[in-house]
Amino acid sequence: MPPEIKPQVPKDNPGLTVVGQRQPRLDGADKVSGRSVFTDDVVLPGMLYGKILRSTHAHARIKRLDTSKAEALPGVKAVVTAAHATGMSANSTDSVAKASKRRTGKTIKLKTGETIFADDVVTYIGEEIAAVAALDEATATKALELIEVEYEPLPAIMDSRRAVRAGAPQVNEEFPGNVWSQDIDNYGDPDTAFDEADFIMESKFEAGVTHNLYAEFHVALVDFSRPDKLKIWTPTQTSYLMQHSLAPAFGLSVNQVQIIHLNTGGAFSGRGAVRPHHYVAVLLSRETRRPVKVFSAGDEEFLIGRALGKNRYKTRVAADKDGTLRAFDMTCEMDGGAVGNEVGYFGWMAGLSNAWMFDLQGNRFQRKVILTNQRPNFLGHGGMMVSSNCAVQQLLAKVARSLDMDPMDLLLKNAVEQGHTGLSGEVFASCGLKECIETVRRESGWDDKYDKLPPYHGIGVAVGAMAAGAKGAFKHDTSAAMVRVGEDGLITVYTGIPDMGQGTHTTMAMIAAEVLGIDANDVQLVAGDTDLTPIDIGAFAQRGTITTGNAARNAAIDARDQLAVYAAEKLETSVDNLRFAHGQVSRVDDPQQSLPFKEVTWGTLNSMEGRFVMGRGFYNSPLPYGTTSWSFDAQVAEVIVDPETGQIDVLKVTVAHDLGRTINPLAVEGQIDGQVFSAMSQVIYEELVTDDGLFLNPSRLEYKMPRTYEMPEIAHFMIESNDPYGPFGAKEVGEGPVVVAGAAIIAAVSNALGGTLMPEMPMTPMRVLKAIRASELEKSQSQSAA
Amino acid sequence: MAKHLISLTINGDTYEDLVVSDNQTLLDVIRGEVGLKGTKRGCTTGACGVCTVNDANGDAILSCMTHVLEWDGEAITTIEGLADTSDLDAIQKAFVHYGAVQCGSCTPGVIMSAKALLNTHPQPTEEQINEAMAGVLCRCTGHVKVKEAIRNAHRIEEVVSHAAGD
Repeated sequence: MPPEIKPQVPKDNPGLTVVGQRQPRLDGADKVSGRSVFTDDVVLPGMLYGKILRSTHAHARIKRLDTSKAEALPGVKAVVTAAHATGMSANSTDSVAKASKRRTGKTIKLKTGETIFADDVVTYIGEEIAAVAALDEATATKALELIEVEYEPLPAIMDSRRAVRAGAPQVNEEFPGNVWSQDIDNYGDPDTAFDEADFIMESKFEAGVTHNLYAEFHVALVDFSRPDKLKIWTPTQTSYLMQHSLAPAFGLSVNQVQIIHLNTGGAFSGRGAVRPHHYVAVLLSRETRRPVKVFSAGDEEFLIGRALGKNRYKTRVAADKDGTLRAFDMTCEMDGGAVGNEVGYFGWMAGLSNAWMFDLQGNRFQRKVILTNQRPNFLGHGGMMVSSNCAVQQLLAKVARSLDMDPMDLLLKNAVEQGHTGLSGEVFASCGLKECIETVRRESGWDDKYDKLPPYHGIGVAVGAMAAGAKGAFKHDTSAAMVRVGEDGLITVYTGIPDMGQGTHTTMAMIAAEVLGIDANDVQLVAGDTDLTPIDIGAFAQRGTITTGNAARNAAIDARDQLAVYAAEKLETSVDNLRFAHGQVSRVDDPQQSLPFKEVTWGTLNSMEGRFVMGRGFYNSPLPYGTTSWSFDAQVAEVIVDPETGQIDVLKVTVAHDLGRTINPLAVEGQIDGQVFSAMSQVIYEELVTDDGLFLNPSRLEYKMPRTYEMPEIAHFMIESNDPYGPFGAKEVGEGPVVVAGAAIIAAVSNALGGTLMPEMPMTPMRVLKAIRASELEKSQSQSAA
Repeated sequence: MAKHLISLTINGDTYEDLVVSDNQTLLDVIRGEVGLKGTKRGCTTGACGVCTVNDANGDAILSCMTHVLEWDGEAITTIEGLADTSDLDAIQKAFVHYGAVQCGSCTPGVIMSAKALLNTHPQPTEEQINEAMAGVLCRCTGHVKVKEAIRNAHRIEEVVSHAAGD
């Protein structure tokens, strides 16, 4: 049990003046004027251009690799291969293995074994073989063509179902049968639940291969011209993990590695690790003692972007006739691609998250990570939780239908509430799930629509929960912040949290401004450079607002306390009789007695004795491991399916998200919009089609996402449950909505087809037509039976 | 590879005697020879739209698909040329005010596409916005606030001063 703690501010009328206001991004003017600097915009003196030679075979032995012609090409400054990276491994996942042990008591079988370059054998198309640094990109590209590689093709295995059959080609000899890992997670007592339940329902569901499709492609600029300082400009979600991966690989200590990441052009869970192109850029810079930029454009981006692989689910749910949900049992076969590294862990997260919303007796998640000669996989936006929730929520709608029950009533009957202890010991210190469900029911007009819409017009509901912060993934989950007070009243917040577009830098400024009682526009940020900013593990696991937000708040309080000394003296009162608000410092007992904030800063910093005001703050979850706070979410989607073409038109998505407290409604709406877009994209459009490991649609023209005219109307409702741990009660809105929107859309499509379960995402026109035929068959069979 | 001398007028500044090769694109020259980095390099295959700039007529063009030699003597506007020295353009203000910017990587291309639309349709219909903006990909915003900003750009001064309580 977590300690009983009180919310930082009361739920209603907390007297907040900055938090809750629609604050445009502080970097907005820079971003709309072309002034914002992204990695590819940086040009350093003497900079070289790197290009990577990639495998054209899914599985082959490299019989001969000859780089001599490339080396002889004028303008080529270095060619590197596996020989330059001996003993070096892409070890970004060590910490994940340890985390699993801390949280589950089990070690996820994890042996990265991933080298920077393929050694003798290539195991997927796109694997790194060699790299070139040259005076310009054209020369580097030409040099790649001069590298001679002779392959001896080996039998490749492309499908995870075939990979586990006897006699299948082996991807990695250390993993016989191509099974990377196999785990069963049991929570509560699923066996008894399944034995005793009135009935069991089950389904199969598949999710396809994706790419995260951020606007900024993979790029790394490295300056390792000094042997004791490695500088790297790159988009990332975590400079901290990058430092900790790169430093040991190159014989440096952590702070000899400087990560510069002021602007990151989107991430969507896909930029949480160091990847081969980062190491390659470092090797090239080390070799040439000059800065080297490696940029991937066009098709190459799709080869190196690691996102979701093929996942196949079998879902069983045990329930009683009165609509009580007893337990879930999900099995997932995950295609890990050629390197199984992180995928099993993400399956574990999906298994846990499926159950958070419900008061269950048991939950089981069985996961098997299978190696194939496909691209190694990682995370898509919302991780595997998008697809696993699609599988679960559709099935729950079917359970409701079988009981002649409204799905809303089923969800409400089983929804958890504040104070509930979940099956793995998690305690929900705040929970607005029921309010979310009731809100979307009311606002979507559900009661007038469910089962009352014409054929092929459907409505669906889904719920979800998301952990904010993830202590246990590392020994600690620390974010720190510093708040420097200028004599002119301008405040500088120093933070290491990356802003990939979510607006967290503006959030931090607002939190500091709230504490100091000033306008958020009077706060500037120093961020995105590990030489300047304090420790921050990064922007993932929904830890930004709750963890870094608390750090920023603590730092601002520290700064405020230092300023209070001068203000109290001037106002002839004690430091605890002061209120900082609206740019004034006033006496609580006599608000007419006040000083402008800027006078307080000027007076403090121009005192006879000399002073310096720098607030320091940090936050680390008070729990030994695990999460203190969960967001909850309910959504209703309304769709029309065209029975002729199989196309899906999403009309409206109504979102109610329990985010604890809204710091910046403008940013929250943007987060929700983007996640509805992304979820819709994943369940209807996005799929990398592969043929023998080769992507057939590696282009933004052919890898489809929703266009302007396909977007639905989106209604946002922010439910404020005022979490006791969160800064001003805030939890998260970074990934909670994405895992629900997809499930709501798929439930709506299923509803449009009379309750036929959709067996696969994305729901391409062909698959929808197949489902329509299946539903017609079901109907005619039930009619002839009757 | 053959080299050529061309001149280009970018945001009102004329660059004489730019040395370019046969295979260079307008994007290469804007970012490389000229050194303006606001126009972003994305897919380089005409699929993502982040490299969009405006031609002398105010139409949107994909600079990564534009052969620079054919643009000798032409004038273009990039994201840096949208605002005059003291203030942002209405569409830029609208993007900031309505939260149509998130990561910002596609933003220059999105804004230049929107500007091209507004040049001919200051108060565009939903359909016109959808059509004009269909070629630029943005994952962060899901297009929602982008469209709101475009719809309201024509009255942004009024909206901003109202929001500021003037």
